Amino acid sequence: MHSQKFVPNIFFPYQVHCLRSVDNLFVVVQEFKDYQFKETKEEVLKDFEELAGKLSWSDPLKVWKINTNFKKKKTKHKKINQNSSKEKIDNGQGDKRDEKDVKKEFTNNALDSHILDYYEKPAIKEEISTLVGDDLASCKDETDESSKEETSPEVLKFRVTCNRAGEKHCFSSNEAARDFGGAVQDYFKWKADMTNFDVEVLLNIHNNEIIVGIALTEESLHRRNITHFGPTTLRSTLAYGMLRLCAPQPTDIIVDPMCGTGAIPIEGATEWANCFHIAGDNNPLAVNRAANNISSLLTKSQTKGKLSCGLPIDAIQWDICNLPLRTGSVDIIVTDMPFGKRWDLVFLKMGFTFTCYASTHMSSKPVIF
Amino acid sequence: MKLLTHNFLSSHVKGVGPRGFPLRLQASEVRIMPVEFNPDFVARMIPKVEWAALVEAANTLSLGEVPTEPIQGYEQNEDFLRTMHHILLEVEVMEGTLQCPESGRVFPITRGIPNMLLSDEQTEA
Repeated sequence: MHSQKFVPNIFFPYQVHCLRSVDNLFVVVQEFKDYQFKETKEEVLKDFEELAGKLSWSDPLKVWKINTNFKKKKTKHKKINQNSSKEKIDNGQGDKRDEKDVKKEFTNNALDSHILDYYEKPAIKEEISTLVGDDLASCKDETDESSKEETSPEVLKFRVTCNRAGEKHCFSSNEAARDFGGAVQDYFKWKADMTNFDVEVLLNIHNNEIIVGIALTEESLHRRNITHFGPTTLRSTLAYGMLRLCAPQPTDIIVDPMCGTGAIPIEGATEWANCFHIAGDNNPLAVNRAANNISSLLTKSQTKGKLSCGLPIDAIQWDICNLPLRTGSVDIIVTDMPFGKRWDLVFLKMGFTFTCYASTHMSSKPVIF
Repeated sequence: MKLLTHNFLSSHVKGVGPRGFPLRLQASEVRIMPVEFNPDFVARMIPKVEWAALVEAANTLSLGEVPTEPIQGYEQNEDFLRTMHHILLEVEVMEGTLQCPESGRVFPITRGIPNMLLSDEQTEA
């Protein structure tokens, strides 16, 4: 997808927005696997300026246009139904890493049969066909305009975001964004606007690899299920990945004994509704947040016009050192353990005790931490 | 708390072991939350369920006639599966208690969430 000629397919943005392990989506304008940086900062930045005019923007912009139309339909629905307020944490640090992974993940997922199975789900098929229907109707009006666009591009507002990782760079991400952005502005005659932009141009630099892209998502998709955040909430996209590693079978009992805000069981209840999910934690705040997140999920599915449906998930307040579960009742344990700089050795000990409990309670399936 | 969950819970009070199952259920507030019926899910879940405990819990909540055993050929019996689906997944205890049958320790259920935490002297060694 990166360096091949890409013909925008009208179905593409919908499927892509259904990918559950993807945080951010962007269409690649150009990828440089081994970019040769010049020696001095001035030379490097000058190269970036000249780069803007050398890239083929028209196809990626077509994709961006299709995607924007698709999102407008979605936002219309969303604004009517939104009633819960969201608390957001700034996860800028994490996004940098994820965008690189997204590119790789995206190309793998396109071939992944699990994703293809996902499209077959009646609910998803229905959603896609409704939105495609709407979009085709509105597209008819726009096909006339689009041919005009080639010759006289609309004055869009844009910004450039540069994510840079690597020790040997002699420039900062801000400098790169500024100079690249300046050139983009000259090339397109767009207006630069850091907050109210139409187009977000991405300049992702990881050591010698550079990807220039146009963002297709605004809000990182990892926040999708969680409305009530805690201090260490796991991204839904990661929760999805962890659950996938367990290869859940239908009617498996899947337990997260340190669920926190419930990211893993909630992702589980949404994606593996043919399993039963149990979310447990010793902290009353965490359990309450998990329960609130579950209720928000139920509210969300209610507003989509479906029957108010319960989910195969329950929350319990318990102590992981004394799991009140009968022997052989659990098939899968998957959890985000509270290790890391924030916690001390007490938890290492707890982890050991936990492993012992896992062996008595489980019927021999994997434990994923 | 759904009855399916109740079926997996066991008391872990010190010294109680397997006699801590099943927890005696008492409910002061129950709600019915419709869940999409998946016959395959119910059919496969039935062997995992401790039947006697389920019957006892269902009777406590006056959920009607529950057979003392899964009936013959239940996998194809849609009426039976629908009944069990309702009992296992759609009945939620919002307020109530769970009692350890051996030690008598009571665990409260508040807003649908059972609190299984024990004080230190009651925990297993």
